[in-house]
Parts: sequence; structure tokens; C-alpha cells
Amino acid sequence: MSDGRAWQGNVKARLYERVRERGYDSLTAFAEARPTASLVALADELGPDDIAAVQVFSGLVAEAERSRKVTRLVRGQLVRELSQRLPNGWPAVLDDENRLKVAVALARWGTYTPETHKERADKIGDALLVTPPPPGWRPLSPDDELLLTLLPDEEV
Amino acid sequence: MRADSPGARGTGLLLILSLLSNACASLTPPAIRGRNLRYTQYETTGSVVAAGAVSPGSHDGNVWQRTLPAHLAFRSAVGEVSGSTRRISGELSRLKASHRGIAGRARGIFVRYVDYGEAQLRWIDTELAAATRLATAASEVEDPDMQLALLRLAGPRLEAAMMGSLLLAVWFDFLHLTDAALSRHLYGVETMFVKMDRWQKMMEPSMKVLSSLEPEQVETAAQDVPALVGHLTGEFAAFLEAVHKGAMVLETVLVLKESMEALTLVSALRFSLPRLLPGAGPATLGVGLMVGSNGVMMGTRLVVSAEWVEMMRQLVRAGVLSVPAVSAAVRIQAGQVMMAEAHGELPRGVREALGDGPEVRGMRVTDRAGAGMARPPHHHVMPKEFREWFEKRGFTGEMDIDQFCVRLEQAHHQAIHGGGDWKLGRTWAGEWNRMIMKALYDAETRAGRMLTRNTVLEIVAEYMKEYRIPMNFIRWRGR
Repeated sequence: MSDGRAWQGNVKARLYERVRERGYDSLTAFAEARPTASLVALADELGPDDIAAVQVFSGLVAEAERSRKVTRLVRGQLVRELSQRLPNGWPAVLDDENRLKVAVALARWGTYTPETHKERADKIGDALLVTPPPPGWRPLSPDDELLLTLLPDEEV
Repeated sequence: MRADSPGARGTGLLLILSLLSNACASLTPPAIRGRNLRYTQYETTGSVVAAGAVSPGSHDGNVWQRTLPAHLAFRSAVGEVSGSTRRISGELSRLKASHRGIAGRARGIFVRYVDYGEAQLRWIDTELAAATRLATAASEVEDPDMQLALLRLAGPRLEAAMMGSLLLAVWFDFLHLTDAALSRHLYGVETMFVKMDRWQKMMEPSMKVLSSLEPEQVETAAQDVPALVGHLTGEFAAFLEAVHKGAMVLETVLVLKESMEALTLVSALRFSLPRLLPGAGPATLGVGLMVGSNGVMMGTRLVVSAEWVEMMRQLVRAGVLSVPAVSAAVRIQAGQVMMAEAHGELPRGVREALGDGPEVRGMRVTDRAGAGMARPPHHHVMPKEFREWFEKRGFTGEMDIDQFCVRLEQAHHQAIHGGGDWKLGRTWAGEWNRMIMKALYDAETRAGRMLTRNTVLEIVAEYMKEYRIPMNFIRWRGR
């Protein structure tokens, strides 16, 4: 049973210890090597019993803040959400069922977006529903062309 | 509960299977029909089910393979208990029409005891209906962990109904005996009334607790039921004895013999009264319980069938029913020898067949920590400040948001509500209530329609995994 061990002890130390054990020098490097994995999958790989997905995300936010690559992280998170809900890519027809999937993916993405980017994420969500991307669009990394046009890096 | 009509069970399973297949995409039916086959077939699945409940993050493709056995077992168990209450319901109506006996003698003062039985029947049926609705809800969500969590949520209701129906069957046997004694003038009306009152008082506290649905109390009451049934068996035997002694005239003896032969007991009492009742099994004193290929045996008598054992095993492995409650049911079926030992445990082999194991005990530990242990407080998973919002989306009755609480250690609770020092980033708060409500609101706005209860549950389940909140719901108890 997950008995709350993820919330005991020094969370940060544990997180970075696991990342290093797996041969990465940053959480971002570890996560970007698995661009379509869900946050839970990342957490499970680092510590199925004692690391939570939200902790991984928080770590990613901190690194992105330092390296001024928050926009890239936000794009990366949309890739993760879309991969979970729409594994076959953007639906050709936005019927009720598909619209719900897209809606949930975008809503979840909004909750995994730092404050600084919330408004932009909202607008991009609206835009994706108004002018949908080509059917089958399935971004596989934050470097996806369409994603880059929607949410270009500004910080660098 | 009993070992009869395996054919009917088979058809029932097929029915359930076809019902379930309407609600889900992929099924793996072949293993379902085999009887003892399932004994070994799900040996591995069983542990997967357990593991699923253990690590909320696990993702595997064969979702239904993981949860189907628990779903089926749940439906069968509900079906079994409803079958028994239906039978008793019919018999109670028949008693109410017994004008020469319990309904008519002494200007109907005995009718209240039939009414008491009917009142118990009502709450048991209500719980079974609620349990069925929860099971239906469980079969409609996609997330396997949430499916099992919903089945577990229904667990105390099933447990209470199961134990309640066992007690009710005993009560019915008492009514039946009283009816026989009254209609054939075998016993004085006044003494009879005093005795009925006494028996009802013996039964009442347990029935009351079982119908209260307080999970921990239900659990305790369930474990006490075997001893209670044991006591009642003693009372029953003593009463028969008294009737016997009173019947001095040969004519009365013959009437007595005749009426006792006509008395078919529906409860477990029939296993415990070998001397007094023709047709009951042989005395089983000193014979232990054993697991055989047909089920749990006591000497040559089948106590519970292999199918029943397998059904309970699935429910225990999924954390729906507890080992002590299931053991109590077996002990009652085993008869007086087993019931006499107030806190006797079943032999290890039997317990293991019923799904007992360290990981199962661990699974329920958050719900039922030992007496005296400080338990972490309850917390609503769906923020109670938004109760109305959730009500409009179907979270009412047995699916009320108060049913969806979790126990969290202080540190865990503070952390998910924005406390603690775990957060590394400055610009992302990750506070539970805000996350959940934003996700739900935004999803609804973007979808352009109200979210269904199932979608809400799916979304909540995902966040619970992301915060590593174990999917073990308990009911809120307002303070």
C-alpha cells in the first residue's frame, strides 16, 4: 500500500538521488528522455513507493525556472497529456466523446502549468478547439513544429 | 451460501457476464465458467488484483482481466444474499397468514415478531440495492483502481447484508418454531411470548449495529455473529427440549414429532441440532474443517462450496470483504462446534483458501487500525465546499462525496494542501483542491456540457495517483 511514504523524509534529496542513480544529472534530462510518458510513469520509474508524480513535476518546474525554459516544460507537459488521452493522435472528428477527451487533456494540462504561463495555455487550448490541428497530429516532444508555433520560446 | 444448485450459479454467471459485456470493451470470458478451474486459474490474477490496490500507479493493458473476477464475485455474492432474503420474505408473508398459529393466537400479539423480521428484511434489501448500484457504477468507470475502490466502498454494505441475512434466517426459524408450537397448542402462550421477547432482545443489538453501516462496528458485529448464533442455537435446543418434556400425553408426543418433522429450518441451525431434527447431518463434534476439491468440508458434510470459497476469495483479495467477516460466515455454516469458540479462528488452510494473506491484511489496515491506535483523520477527496456542484453531477446517496474520504497522515495532508517543503518550483502551487476543481471546471467548459459522474471519478482517480493517495475510500463521519 502506498502509505504516504512519498511524503515523508527529504523529498528533494530522494528525488535527486534517484535521478542520479539512473544516470542523469537533472530531472529535466531524465524526463525529456521519456517525452510521452505520463508524470505517474516517471514517478513510478523513480520510486513507485516513495516518489509522487506531483513532486516530479515540481522538480521540473524548479529546473525550468532556473534554466529559463518554463515554456519548453509547458509544451512538454502538453505532449504528455495528449499522449495519455489521444494515443492515436488528434481525432479526425470532434464528436462528443472525442471532444471530452480533448477537453480533459487540456484541462489537466492547465493544472500542470506554472502561473506565469496559465493565460497562454488557456488561449492555446481555445485555439486548438477552434482551429483544430490536422487529424492524427501527435506531438512526440516539446520540439514538435506545430507546438513551437503555438507556444514559441521567449525566454532565451 | 449453501452448496446446492451449481447449475443455477453457472447460468447466473453467464448472465452477469453478458450484462457486463454491454458496459465494457474487452472481456476474457473462457475462465469464468469453469468451477474448480478458477481455483488455480486466478491464482496469479488474485495477486495482481491485490497489487493493483497496493500501487496505485501501475498501468497494464488487461484492465478487465484484473477487475473482472472481483466484479463477478461481487455480483454473485449480492445475488446469493438476495436469494436468501427473497426466500425468507416469502416465508414471512406465509407466516403472517397463519391464523391458527403466530398470526391468530393471543389476539395477534405475536405478529410483532414477524414484523420485526420484515423490518430487518427491509434494511438488508436496501443495502443490497445500494451495493448493486455501486457495483454498476464500478463497472462503468474505466480506471481499474477506481473500479476496485468503488467495489470496496460497497464492501461494508455487502458485509452487513450478508451477516444480517444469516441472522434473519435464524430469526425466521424461531418464528417458524413458535408458529408450530402455537398452532398445535404445544406450549403456553404467555411463556412463549416471554421467550420470543428474550430472543428478540438477544438478536437486536447485533442487527442494529449491522444496519448502522459504521464500517468498524459492522466488522466487530460480524465477528460476534457466530457466537450469537451459537447462543441462539442453544436456546432453540432448550426450547425444543422443554416442549418435549411438557408433552406427557402420547397424543401430544405424536403431534410434536409430526410437527418437528415438518419444520424445515432455513438457517444454519439445522446443522447444529442433529439430535432433535430428523434429516440433519450427523453430529460433527471434534471434526475439523478441511478444504477439499468440493469446498470446505466438515467430516463428510460440505459446509461451503468451492464456488462460494472462490467467490469470497476474490472479494477478500480485492479488499471488498474482510477475512474475519468471511470466516464468521463460514463458522456459522459449520455449526455449533465452530460457533461456540467466541473468537476462534478458522484453520489456516481454510483461511488461505478464502484469500487470507499478509498483503490482504495490509490492504484493510488503513480502514481498521487496531484498537487504541491513533488513526489519521479523514479528508474529502472531492472538496466539500463544492458539495452542490458534485451533487448536480450525480454524487448523491451511496455515491455522496462524504463516501469518498481518505485517511491521510498529517504531513501528507499538509503537503497536498500546499504545505510542507516538498515544492521545488516557485510558480506552481500544486494544491489539491485548486487542481481538482480547476481540472473539473475547465474540462466541463471545454467539453461544452456537464461532466458525468464517471468522468469526474476518472479525473479524480488520476490526480489521486499523482499525489500517491491510496484509493481506499472511507465514509466521512462529521465532527
